[in-house]
Amino acid sequence: MRYGKIFAGLFMAAALPGANSAVADSIDDKAQVCAGCHGEKGIPQEKTTPIIWGQNEGYILVELRDFKSGARKNDIMSGIVADLSKKDMLDLAAHFAGLKWPDLQQASPPRPVMKQALTVIGSIGCTSCHLDQYQGNSTTPRLAGQQSEYLQKTMTDFRDRSRANNPGMSDLMNAAQPADLGPIAQYLASLTVVGGNQ
Amino acid sequence: MVGIRSSHAFAAALTGLLVFSAFHSAKAQEVEHNSKEAAKGAPAPSVTQEELTNAAKDSKQFLHTNGNYDQTRFYPGKQVNTGNVSKLRPAWIFQMDVKESLETTPIVVGNVMYVTTSFDHVYALNAKTGEQYWHYKHKMGPITTYCCGPNNRGVAVYGDKVYLATLDAKLVALDAKTGSLVWQTDIADPLDGYSETMAPTAVNGKIIIGTNGGEYGIRGFVRAYDANTGKLVWNFDTIPENSVGVWATKDATGKDLHRDIDAEKAQFAKTGDPYKTLGGGVWQNPAVDLKLNRIFFVVGNPSPDLDGSLRPGDNLYTDSLVSVDLDTGKYVCHFQYIPHDVWDLDAVSPPILVDVKDKDGKTVPGVIHGGKTGNVYVNDRKDCSLIRFSDPMVDQSGMWTLPTPEGSKMFPGANGGVEWSPMAANPKLALAYAVNLHQPMTYQVQSSPYPDGKLWLGGAFKVIPTEVSFGNVTAVNYDTGKIKWQVKTPEPMMGGALATAGDLVFTGEANGWFRAYNAESGKILWSFQCGAGVNAPPAAYALDGKEYIVVGAGGNTQIDFKRGNNIIAFTLN
Ligand code: HEC
Ligand code: HEC
Repeated sequence: MRYGKIFAGLFMAAALPGANSAVADSIDDKAQVCAGCHGEKGIPQEKTTPIIWGQNEGYILVELRDFKSGARKNDIMSGIVADLSKKDMLDLAAHFAGLKWPDLQQASPPRPVMKQALTVIGSIGCTSCHLDQYQGNSTTPRLAGQQSEYLQKTMTDFRDRSRANNPGMSDLMNAAQPADLGPIAQYLASLTVVGGNQ
Repeated sequence: MVGIRSSHAFAAALTGLLVFSAFHSAKAQEVEHNSKEAAKGAPAPSVTQEELTNAAKDSKQFLHTNGNYDQTRFYPGKQVNTGNVSKLRPAWIFQMDVKESLETTPIVVGNVMYVTTSFDHVYALNAKTGEQYWHYKHKMGPITTYCCGPNNRGVAVYGDKVYLATLDAKLVALDAKTGSLVWQTDIADPLDGYSETMAPTAVNGKIIIGTNGGEYGIRGFVRAYDANTGKLVWNFDTIPENSVGVWATKDATGKDLHRDIDAEKAQFAKTGDPYKTLGGGVWQNPAVDLKLNRIFFVVGNPSPDLDGSLRPGDNLYTDSLVSVDLDTGKYVCHFQYIPHDVWDLDAVSPPILVDVKDKDGKTVPGVIHGGKTGNVYVNDRKDCSLIRFSDPMVDQSGMWTLPTPEGSKMFPGANGGVEWSPMAANPKLALAYAVNLHQPMTYQVQSSPYPDGKLWLGGAFKVIPTEVSFGNVTAVNYDTGKIKWQVKTPEPMMGGALATAGDLVFTGEANGWFRAYNAESGKILWSFQCGAGVNAPPAAYALDGKEYIVVGAGGNTQIDFKRGNNIIAFTLN
């Protein structure tokens, strides 16, 4: 966490002079800040940082809004979004949604792990919202091929409500057991890229 | 209404895994094989109010999602009948660009057919050959919020326009000949949880539409828009400012709801009337009674679905039949099937207007509805009062066990009884045909405050993976409430039925079988394997003296039935 904060501070410092000048940053400059963590080529630097290239536009927009309002709490991201206007968020959401989702080639879990994941997924009905191939749509995020560690972390956060910006997802995660989250994360992470605006 | 996938989808998910890498198109569910076709104008005749009014007698066209204003889904043609249905064969198959959940009812005007797909595409087809005239692809806004699949249930037709309501909560009017946009109106803000999947209803120059969003703390409504301009004519809030009601302790069938009225009253004293975020979506078309100049519709569940602690009172008019004036939208009467629902066993399947026998055996104008509870309710059209309810079509063991933090088991599961699937009626036999689900689930409650338009279930529904799910096709005598016949199906049923004057009932199954039943006995007379879940309501029409039965086979998101992208028209030989 601490490392992240300093890191974010650095990036903000680098970006701020431009933002303060009369000429607003172009969307590319703004997006450049994000690359520091979410990756130059869409592959995040850290395992617990989510892929945002090719993520669904509505979802990116809503998350930026929630980081800014504090509905979703994260020390790193709240600093990043503090100075973003609604227009910036719309532009950034459209920008990242239009990029190609990277293929991290995360390995499929062994069959018993996959079976455990699929039993829980079937019972809670994850595809009814995240859709057939976990590609999501609009404000429902793509899960297929997301970083495994991030998925596990954020599902754990939903479960204990430290990620509080969607109580519905928290309720659903509470219908799973803590031991199910690792297998679900591994399974979802192993799915090969589908769709993407590319 | 909320979506829960069934546990048998396990195998489907495994196979799905193997083919994932094959997808590289723009959207995973788009298949794009019709992209080469140039747009051709459709020879669409203008639709008059008289035609819409008399649709029940029109065996040539299929002008309303549920067949006619009474919503009987009773097709008057009898060329295809019990004697020859075994010779029914595909006339043509049209493959659409979107391979996702398919709930559309084909609408037929002259020889033009209109069908819609998930994500709001519309096609105009030659109803005789299945060839495409035009294809409209709605330009979706960046935000959509919906719970139960990116579905669309079809269009309404009136004059020279075709009307569509979209996932991003817009009402759209298209030129029937070209498919180009004439006007577009914002119905509500999708960021607040509003979305549209139902087909609109066209009547007397108005386009009537409800809304989804009972899983997101919306305040539901039914609205009428001017068919020519898209301007709002009237609005009816399905949640009145006083939503408390009479603190009823029993449901319509007399079962104890186990409400803690004292606790609710204490909550009410603290937080007041919860009407602003109480849900009450309207998922399906209203029935129109032109004589009474009124419409009848059913209102869905309260928000949050499973947590009643935040919403004291009966939660009017959720889980209710409601009637309003057609010209003004003014309230006339209502009947609540389940006060203070905490199971999402709400009212979704469209109501049907038929003459029914009242308690004294007198014939009166009635309105019937297939509830998610698994009962068919028979009400008096005059004042919405209950005349009778049918024998349960599904297991209701443990009804109404309250949800617990650990999860409690009760039947039916949260998809019902009867989901959004429209029933059909055969007035001659006084039978209503419903398709049922039996899906064992646990109900789990967890309280959290209103999350500003985000998913708000107040808990979770969970399919019990070790128990079997299945379905039924059930014929219910609405004059007696008795079940006339029932046929068990291997999968839970979702899609809807069509009855015909040929004494047939058509309905499809998740495993791809589309079947014709003898309307009187339930005997299966014909079956066709469509290759994907037949989870859309069938329609029928006639061209050049030949009768056609048509249905969509595209599976379903809500309970994860096998996806496809076919519209299949059948005729004799
Ligand atoms: C200093 C590192 C850092 C920078 C710079 C950064 N992010 Fe993030 N971002 C993160 C981390 C870490 C998370 C995960 C937060 C959590 O676990 O809740 C995150 C989460 C997100 C999410 C939520 C994604 C999801 O799947 O839920 C979005 C959207 C996002 N960031 C967009 C951006 C944008 C746009 C920028 C540039 C304006 C940016 N981020 C800059 C570290 C960073
Ligand atoms: C009723 C709809 C619905 C169902 C069912 C559902 N989800 Fe979600 N899920 C959402 C929505 C909407 C979000 C976005 C949350 C937000 O507002 O930040 C989400 C977010 C997530 C995220 C966070 C992704 C990210 O990038 O941060 C994960 C992981 C997730 N869901 C996994 C699951 C799993 C696993 C299941 C089944 C056990 C499931 N979901 C069932 C609607 C649903």
